Amino acid sequence: MAERKSPTAVLREGPRALSDQQVREIEGADLKGVLDVDIDDVIEYVHKDLKSLPGYTTLYRRYLKQRWDVYDLDFTQDKIDWTEKMTEDERQSFLAIASGFHHGERQVEIELPVFMIGAGEEEKLHISAQIEDEARHTVFFDRFYREVVGLQGDSIMDILDASFPWVAETFVGPFGLLAYQADEVRRNPYDERARVRYGTTYFLWIEGVLALSVMKVTLSYARWRGFLPAYYTGFTATCRDESRHVQGGMKYLQDAVRKDPSMTKEIHETLRTILTLAGVASREVIYEPLGWTQDEVRLLFFQQLGRKLKDVGISLPPDLQAMVGSVQPVLAGG
Amino acid sequence: MSEPEFFSPQWAAAVQDALAAGPSDPDRAGKLPMYWGFFDQIKASYPASWALGCRDLPGGPAYLFVQWGGGTVTDCRITGPEEARNATYQLGMDYADWRALHDGYDPQRTVMYRKILVEEGNVLEFFKSVYFFTECLGIIGKVPASFSAVAVH
Repeated sequence: MAERKSPTAVLREGPRALSDQQVREIEGADLKGVLDVDIDDVIEYVHKDLKSLPGYTTLYRRYLKQRWDVYDLDFTQDKIDWTEKMTEDERQSFLAIASGFHHGERQVEIELPVFMIGAGEEEKLHISAQIEDEARHTVFFDRFYREVVGLQGDSIMDILDASFPWVAETFVGPFGLLAYQADEVRRNPYDERARVRYGTTYFLWIEGVLALSVMKVTLSYARWRGFLPAYYTGFTATCRDESRHVQGGMKYLQDAVRKDPSMTKEIHETLRTILTLAGVASREVIYEPLGWTQDEVRLLFFQQLGRKLKDVGISLPPDLQAMVGSVQPVLAGG
Repeated sequence: MSEPEFFSPQWAAAVQDALAAGPSDPDRAGKLPMYWGFFDQIKASYPASWALGCRDLPGGPAYLFVQWGGGTVTDCRITGPEEARNATYQLGMDYADWRALHDGYDPQRTVMYRKILVEEGNVLEFFKSVYFFTECLGIIGKVPASFSAVAVH
């Protein structure tokens, strides 16, 4: 497993360059090798290409090389860690965070196909790969909740039902919005303004900010304690998949704004709704058992949002900047 | 006393009373004061109206028209499609999903799984108060009703 260091070891370091060797290790690692990859490096890798975004065909080719088999994971040691080594506080904190991702993966899987209708041909390749990624991530969490947490059920929905009590009431904010925006795209698949609003919620907020924050918190905990090796492996591989999703999504938004600068207004209006919702929490999540504080998670949010906006070249008007400061660190993702 | 029929005038009157009263103390107990502060703030100044449709009633689609103003529900009645178009937000849901909501299905997932959808109205504006909406949907689901109609599909 990757070197054991504190969960927040590089939180305040800011952007850093990865060596060519580190990039090769991240890009080329097979599923077994992913266990030795540092999650902090993978999250840095997500941002590596944001300034010169790769094309959709390049992302599709990366997908073909990086695709992994979710059924190759062995959760035996994770079950031992979960039941015998982790404390009850650690388990409850972990579930309060991971359950948002369990449901988030299902949501982003089913809301993505309509976006493909109005996409260009190369982009369709990338989106089809992303749909398969999201389906695989849904199975990953289904297996984790069955085989490690011990939830029981006959179907994927049974397990989703069983983990739903850990999901905060505010989850409906970004994920309900995505569902309704997907319906707008379904009704008008070539409406570029509707697509940009959808892309802002999906790629910029859910994947670019929420998802990467969940990954960082739970994976840095697992690395720190030396626990949950199959979770670490599968979710770090998921993070590598997310790097392609974020890069593809940011490319879509960047291209849309370059083609028609008035699209910035759609991004801002969508963020205005999202940030209104993100300023409210319905439950208190205790992060300390996982090695984080609420303020550190909030800082993580700000860093993720700031880097995406900066790298893609989108600035925020003063009222949105003020709203960012009120964001509550409630984690979910997809 | 028998329960009012779903989507009857008597049921709409009971919904108005329930929405005006707001969430019960046990419902409030499980969530942070910040969350209810947001709910109460929206409720106090919410100027919009909802037309909550049932798409497949035997007599054709019908709507529960809910007008908010001054921190309460100022109008709540059953209307047809014509009048529903006057609402700020027109939403639609199938009879089976209304019944599931009444039987305890989660209002948050009712939205997230697109069982109820905004059919007319600005989605971004609607979502700025979606926590208020889902809590109200939960309140509506708890209003006693009998479901004797047979949905048409």
